[in-house]
Amino acid sequence: MQPVISFRNFSFRYKSQTQPTLKNIDLDIAPGEKIWIAGPSGSGKSTLAHCINGLIPFSYGGEVSGGLYINGEEMTELGIFERSSSVGTILQNPDAQFVGQTVGEDVAFQMENEQVPQSEMKARVITALELVGMLDYEGQGPQDLSGGQKQSVSLAGVLSTQGDILLFDEPLANLDPASGVRAMQLIQDIHRRGETTVIIIEHRVEDVLAQPIDRIVVMNEGEIAAVGSPETLLREGLLPRYGLRQPLYLNALGYAGVGISGLTGLGTPEGVQVSPEDDAGNGDIAGNGDHSVKEGIRSRLEAWTSSVHHDPATAVGRNAGAPLLELRQVSFAYGPGSDAVSGVTLSIHEGERVALLGSNGAGKSTLSGLITGILKPRSGKIAFRGEDLSRWSIRQRGAEIGYVMQNPNHMITQHMIRDEIGLGLMARGVPSSELERRTDEALRICGLYPYRNWPVSGLSFGQKKRLTIASILALEPKLMILDEPTAGQDYRHYTEFMDFIDGLADLGMAFLFITHDMHLALEYADRAVVMAEGRVIAADRVAPILSDSGVTSKARLRETSLSRFAKSWGLSSPASFVQAFIDAEKKVKRADE
Amino acid sequence: MSKAGSLYVEGNSFFHRLDGAVKLILLLVWTGVTFLFLDLRVFAVMLAAGVGMLLLARIPVRRMALLFWVLMVFTLINSIFILIITPRFGSSLTGSNTPLIPVGYDTINGETLFYVLTLSAKYLTLLPITMLFIFTTHPSRFAASLNKLGIPYKMAYAVSIAFRYIPDLTQEFKNILNAMQMRGLGISRGDGNLWRRMKNLSLVVVPLLQSSLQHIESVSNAMDLRGFGTGAKRTWYMGTRMSRSDKLVLLLCVLLLGGAILMKGLWVEKFWYPFL
Repeated sequence: MQPVISFRNFSFRYKSQTQPTLKNIDLDIAPGEKIWIAGPSGSGKSTLAHCINGLIPFSYGGEVSGGLYINGEEMTELGIFERSSSVGTILQNPDAQFVGQTVGEDVAFQMENEQVPQSEMKARVITALELVGMLDYEGQGPQDLSGGQKQSVSLAGVLSTQGDILLFDEPLANLDPASGVRAMQLIQDIHRRGETTVIIIEHRVEDVLAQPIDRIVVMNEGEIAAVGSPETLLREGLLPRYGLRQPLYLNALGYAGVGISGLTGLGTPEGVQVSPEDDAGNGDIAGNGDHSVKEGIRSRLEAWTSSVHHDPATAVGRNAGAPLLELRQVSFAYGPGSDAVSGVTLSIHEGERVALLGSNGAGKSTLSGLITGILKPRSGKIAFRGEDLSRWSIRQRGAEIGYVMQNPNHMITQHMIRDEIGLGLMARGVPSSELERRTDEALRICGLYPYRNWPVSGLSFGQKKRLTIASILALEPKLMILDEPTAGQDYRHYTEFMDFIDGLADLGMAFLFITHDMHLALEYADRAVVMAEGRVIAADRVAPILSDSGVTSKARLRETSLSRFAKSWGLSSPASFVQAFIDAEKKVKRADE
Repeated sequence: MSKAGSLYVEGNSFFHRLDGAVKLILLLVWTGVTFLFLDLRVFAVMLAAGVGMLLLARIPVRRMALLFWVLMVFTLINSIFILIITPRFGSSLTGSNTPLIPVGYDTINGETLFYVLTLSAKYLTLLPITMLFIFTTHPSRFAASLNKLGIPYKMAYAVSIAFRYIPDLTQEFKNILNAMQMRGLGISRGDGNLWRRMKNLSLVVVPLLQSSLQHIESVSNAMDLRGFGTGAKRTWYMGTRMSRSDKLVLLLCVLLLGGAILMKGLWVEKFWYPFL
């Protein structure tokens, strides 16, 4: 069969760069295939997507060599308009791509441009909205919708046209875990329904693997590093080799010393099974007597869980310090009607790392606004080191509580790195000798000292992120609030950044992570506070919380794959299994240092 | 302002149903006619008609209050300045002089007082129709109807896109400002003198520009990918057809303009002053 997309020795170099971003790509995608393109940041996967949907060369110019054929036609002969009618693209930012003022208009946008008559357009909008379950929202504006709903509307927009290739460029990046699961389910439903070819570019490994995938294409440094079924690539352990994170339960199996060669269904935690040919008893684990292989693995996992979990050396808690920030029965409402935050009580101790988890709209941002003083509570009390904060101005609070935004570009105002760090100190009237000292110290701690005289524009995204931390650090707060600290970063940058934060925590800084990233909570927080509909519905150590399907489903989070794996294998305590994994990870990390 | 950033007030009156472009033409004709005259009688009739139409549209009074007071204050200040600076200006229009209120250096005369009254009525005449236009015109239907009038669709859509993203940018601005404030770079009284605070406000420009540019890039990519700008024409999901009442209003507009020009030609006096 003729491939729908075919790259032939294809290379591409951006106008502004000296090295090609894509090198010698050879790839055939068959009609109706579902492909996941994975790879670290800068591996060229977004560039590959831009080549398919036509943004290259129409919006981003550069030099192309080799061939790219879509439905058998050479791409250089197609305009972006012909391209858009065969390839439908869903972009990462659900807000920016929502161009209509209402749901209906947004779905119709492409048809309007294709000059479809209005009556036909209305009918097709209704069909498409019905497909994604958004028909009731036809007249709503984007401000009435959640991120996941906006993403569904975008999907309806491309479904309403005749395109037979759907390209998803990081569709999950801005979605909370439950919406992510729903989005993947929706993509799968669409894929199964028709002859649609689906191409997904995404960082979130476990979420993508939750639905069947035909082939994974692993990109690395502009080349295709590996192509194969999820089963094959996972078994060969290829994902970690290219800076991608494999599902956590596979790591756990590794820590427990269970080989995965005899297992199948590695893609989902519930799917992992003993291979039929191994069940006869020729595995190295359970070769003795009447125990089946499965039973052998189970007891191995149980033994590992209890051995790691009771190792006192790893069971370090950080919440030993005095209480730093305390909230008592804090409530807030934006206007008459229901409270955005209702009766919240929580505390953060010195040097503690707390994850504030919850979906979009659960009240996390409102709560951080109340802590920083941007919003005033309707009732309740907020105290810092026992002192009532209600009289403190935002500026005063800023000296004790630092707030770092998700996107560093939203915080950086200066041209030079030193100036950016010194800015807050200058505003506070810190004398210049002290200013220099604190700036240097912040630069050193954040590993930016070698770049101290650089312009900000010379820094990478991750370094800019550190710069914003440094500029807050220089103010010497006791608590830092980080809003979605790792959003949109690949595994390597994510780990680098969070290990850096971990180092700051070791120096005694307390952290509040506002996030819906559960891996982050699992590995880097001492405690988790879960919010849903403005209330705190759970506050505990992370492992038990993320193993509690009741709490996670209510908060639109997701039970961690570790715990789902443990349940599917009938382990006695999923929460202990999760804790064992966290402790084992820490041990490995310490050994690395 | 509503959450969506437009001033549109949901409703189903005759004026809500009226085509956006027709309303724009009505507004333009109305403005044109108003500027042809300096006659309190004409303004009285037009004002009464305007208020009548506004009442028909049933826009909640509190939504209109702000605009009303802004115009009142403007008119008042304007009048006071005219009276103070040129207390005998009215004479140049009528050729007569009726001293009325002594103000020391000069005397405000009756002619000027009446002129100021007429001028205020002129501004006020524009208010009901302007309100009618901005409160009853749905922004996306407006883009469609502008296009129908012959305005290129790219320009018409720019109107719609602006309405769409203004609230997003406002929110972004607030977020950036809040984060700045926490670093001690705020714009409230505790953050230093006025100069300092103005400087702090100017700092917001860099990140706001950054994020706007990023936003624009994503939006234009999203639009390109969905084929915007490739065709010479486009159809409109929210477009409406000219109804009979739209055509009727258009006809009335033409008659109004024609009548006004005719009246203007026949009337010699420029400024109506009854006390001569």
